Amino acid sequence: MTIEAFIGQALSGISVGMVLFLIAAGLSIIFGTLKVLNLAHGTIYMVGGFLCYILTSKLAHIPGAFWWALLFAPIAVALIGGVIEVLLLRRIYSQEMLYQYILTFALILILGDTCKFFFGVGYQTVSVPWPVNGNIALWGLSFPTYNLFLIGCGIVVFLGLSALMRYTSLGSIVRAVTHNRETANALGINVPRVYTGVFMLGSYLAGLAGTLMPPMSVVALGSDMAVIIECFIIVVIGGLGSLPGAFLGAIILGLLNAFGIYIIPKLALAFPFMLMIVILIIRPWGLLGKPE
Amino acid sequence: MILVSLVLLIVPFVFSRSMVSLINEMLIMALAGCALNLMLGYGGMVSFGPAGLYAVGAYATAILLTRYGAPFIVAVLAAPVVAAIVGAIVGWFCVRRSAVYFALLTLAFAQIIWTIIFEWYDFTNGDNGIVSIPIPEVLYVGSNIYYFSLAIVAVCIFVLWRIVNSPFGATLQAIRENPMRTEFIAVPVRRYQLAAFVISSFFLGIAGSLFCVFAGSVFPDYAHWVKSTDMLVVCLLGGIYNFAGPIVGSGVYILISKVISKNTTYWMFFLGIIIVFLVLYMRNGMVGFAAEKIFRFRNKLGAGNGEGKS
Amino acid sequence: MIFETQHLTKKFGGLTATSDVSLQIEKGELVSIIGPNGAGKTTLFNLLTGHIKPDEGKVYFQGREITGLPPHAISRMGIGRSFQRLNIFPRLTTFENVQVAVFSAQGKSHQLFTSAKKMVRKETETILESVGLLGKKDTKGGLLAHGDQKRLELGIALSVHPSLLLLDEPTQGMSPQETVETTVLIQKLVKERGLTLIFVEHDMSVVFGISDNIRVLHQGKVIFSGKPEEVRRNEEVQRIYLGEENK
Repeated sequence: MTIEAFIGQALSGISVGMVLFLIAAGLSIIFGTLKVLNLAHGTIYMVGGFLCYILTSKLAHIPGAFWWALLFAPIAVALIGGVIEVLLLRRIYSQEMLYQYILTFALILILGDTCKFFFGVGYQTVSVPWPVNGNIALWGLSFPTYNLFLIGCGIVVFLGLSALMRYTSLGSIVRAVTHNRETANALGINVPRVYTGVFMLGSYLAGLAGTLMPPMSVVALGSDMAVIIECFIIVVIGGLGSLPGAFLGAIILGLLNAFGIYIIPKLALAFPFMLMIVILIIRPWGLLGKPE
Repeated sequence: MILVSLVLLIVPFVFSRSMVSLINEMLIMALAGCALNLMLGYGGMVSFGPAGLYAVGAYATAILLTRYGAPFIVAVLAAPVVAAIVGAIVGWFCVRRSAVYFALLTLAFAQIIWTIIFEWYDFTNGDNGIVSIPIPEVLYVGSNIYYFSLAIVAVCIFVLWRIVNSPFGATLQAIRENPMRTEFIAVPVRRYQLAAFVISSFFLGIAGSLFCVFAGSVFPDYAHWVKSTDMLVVCLLGGIYNFAGPIVGSGVYILISKVISKNTTYWMFFLGIIIVFLVLYMRNGMVGFAAEKIFRFRNKLGAGNGEGKS
Repeated sequence: MIFETQHLTKKFGGLTATSDVSLQIEKGELVSIIGPNGAGKTTLFNLLTGHIKPDEGKVYFQGREITGLPPHAISRMGIGRSFQRLNIFPRLTTFENVQVAVFSAQGKSHQLFTSAKKMVRKETETILESVGLLGKKDTKGGLLAHGDQKRLELGIALSVHPSLLLLDEPTQGMSPQETVETTVLIQKLVKERGLTLIFVEHDMSVVFGISDNIRVLHQGKVIFSGKPEEVRRNEEVQRIYLGEENK
C-alpha cells in the first residue's frame, strides 16, 4: 500500500468513525443516565437521514439547502425523541431490562415502517454540499474535503459535549442524576425532566449523524440495524456511559473497518466483534470507563 | 393438552397446504422459543444471540447432508450435539458476565457465527446459502414433513417441560430471582447458568435443524441478530414466566407476520404497536394475562361460594 | 475452635474497611459483632463467606483454610448466612424458597428430569415449621410481611445444614414484638441444632440478650472483645459506640 493510499484509507475510516461517534455518544449518554440500552437509537439516526434527504430535495431551489437540513433535521429528531421518552420510555424505567429491550425493539419496527411509509423503500442519495465538496490538497496529497469536514464535526461535538458536561450547571445536574438518582431527587432536581432532556440530546446527536452521513453514503431502510451494532461495539470498547470512551472506540472501530480488510480479508467483518468479546471478558467497563 | 395434540394431529386433513406449512413453521418457532425461554424466563439470562445457535443447528444438518452425504438421521441428530458444543464454548465466556454485558456478549458471539457463515464460502457457501438440500423423498409424501416436525417438537417440548419442573429448573429460577443468595445455599451458580446455556443451545440446534429440513435450504440470515429478536418477541408475546408462553407467542407471531403482511406491507408497524401495548399493559404476556384472569375469576367464585354458605 | 481468622485486611481504594482482624470462635458460641455504622461489619461478613477476597490474612473453618474459596464452596462446607438487605427469592413461593435450598443440601439440585413438586416435602415443611412459616407456604416470598421475609431468610440459611451461621442484622426493620419473637426463635434454633452463631446487630437488647461474647469493631479494627457485662463496663466502648447510640 502506498503512503497516500494508507493515509487516505485512515482518513476515510476515521471520518466514518466520527459519524459513528456522534451516534454512539448519544447511545452512551442515554445509557449512562437513563440506564436504558436503546436498541432503536440506530433507527433514530436513520430517521435523521431520511429527514436530510427530504429537506434537501424539497428545498433544492434554496441555496445551501443541506445546511438548513443540518440545522433543522436534528432538532426534529430530538423532538421525536422527546415524545418517545415522555410517552413510552418513562413508563418502564423501573421494569426489568428485558422489557426495555423489547420496547425499544418495537420502536425499531414502528419507526422503520413509518419511514417506509413516508420515504419508500428505494436508496436515496444526497450530493455533497458546497463548500465542503471536492478535494483538498494536504502535504502534497489529495483528500475529499467532506471527510475532513466530518472529522472536524466529530471533534467539535466531542469537545463541546465534554465542556457541556464538565463546566456548565446543566452538565453537573446530568452528572448528579447519572451518579445517583435518589440523591439528585432529594436535592430538588427534576429527574424526569433531566431524563427527557438527556434522551433528546442523545436523539439530537443521532439526528446530526443521520444528516451528516447521506452525502458520503446512501439513505436506505435497514441501515439502522447495521449502525446500531457498530454503536454497540464502540460503546463496549470505550466503556458504556463514557463520552471519551465513545470517541476512542469510534476511532478504533473506524480504523479496524478501514484496515481489517487488508490484514485478513476473511476476518474483516469479525474483527470488531472479536475485540468486543475480548473487552467484555477482560475489561467489561471498557477502555475508558470506570468499574462499577 | 390432549385437545391441542388432537387438533395438531388432524391439521393436515382440515387445512390447506399453505396453512399446514404455516403451522409447521409455528411448531419450529415454538420449540426455539421454549429453548430460549429456559434461559430467559427461567434463568433470567437475557440472550441476544439464540439465532447463532439455531443457525449452527441448521447448518450442521445442511452441511452434513450436502457436503458429506451423511445419512439423514445422522445429519439431524448431529445438529443439537454440534449446537450444544458451540453453546458450551460460547456460554463458558458469557456466564462470566451478567445483565447488559451478558446480553452484549451473546450478541457478539452470534454475530461472529453469522460472519463465519457469511465469509467461509468453501464450507458454508457464504451469502448464497445452501439450497436444494437432499431431504429424503419420503418426507415430501403427503404431510409427512409436518408429522416429522410435530413429533420431534412434541418430544422436545415435553423434555423441556420436565426440565423446568425438575430440581434443576427450580434452582435455575432461584438463580433468576437472586443469584447471590443462590450462591450462598451452596449452588455453583455459573455452572448452572452454563448448563442452562448448553441445554438451551441443544434445543435451539434441533429447532434449526428442523427448519433446515422443512425449508430445504439454509441462509446466513438464520444467525442474524434480527432473527434473535424475533425469538425474544415470541417469548415476550406469550409471556416469559409461563411454560406455554413461547408456544402461544409463536402462534400469534407467525399469524401476525403472515396474515397482516398479506393485507399490508406495514405489518412490522402493527407488530411494533402490539409489542408496545404488551409491554405497557400486559407485561406477563398473553398466557400470563389469561392465567391471572382465570385465577381471579376462580377466587371470585370461591369467595362467592363462601358467602353463600355463611 | 470451629472458626478462626488471622490478620484479615481489606482495602477499597484508599479506605481500609477491615484492618488486621483476628477472631477465634469456639464451637457452640454465640458471638455478636457490634460497632457504629461504617465500622466494617458487613465487609467482614463478606470476607468470611467468600463474597469478597481479603488483601491479607487467612480464614479457617474447622481447621481447614477457606480463604479465597468461592461462596458456594464455603457454604457447602457448612457456613450459612443471611443478609442485611432482604435476600430471598421473591417470585417463588415460601415453600419453594426453602425447597431449592433443601435440594442443594441433599445434592439434588442438578437432577434434570425428576419432578420437583413432591420432592423433599417433609424436610422443607419441617424447616418452614421451625421458623413459623408453614401456614404461609403457598404465598409468594415477595408478598410476605417484612418480618416473615426475615424469618424465611433464616429458614433458607438453615436448610443447608450449617454448623456455623452468620446473620447480618436478623431483626433489622422489625417491630419490638417481632424482635423479641425472632430473638427467642434464633436462640432456640441455635441450641436445638448445636450451631455456632456469629451475628451483626444494632439492637442492643438483642445483642445483650443472646450473646455469649461480643466483639466491638471500630474503623475496621476489633477494639474490644469480651462478655456482655464486660462490654457494658468498658469505657472506651461506651465512648465510641454506646455513647453515640444514646445521643
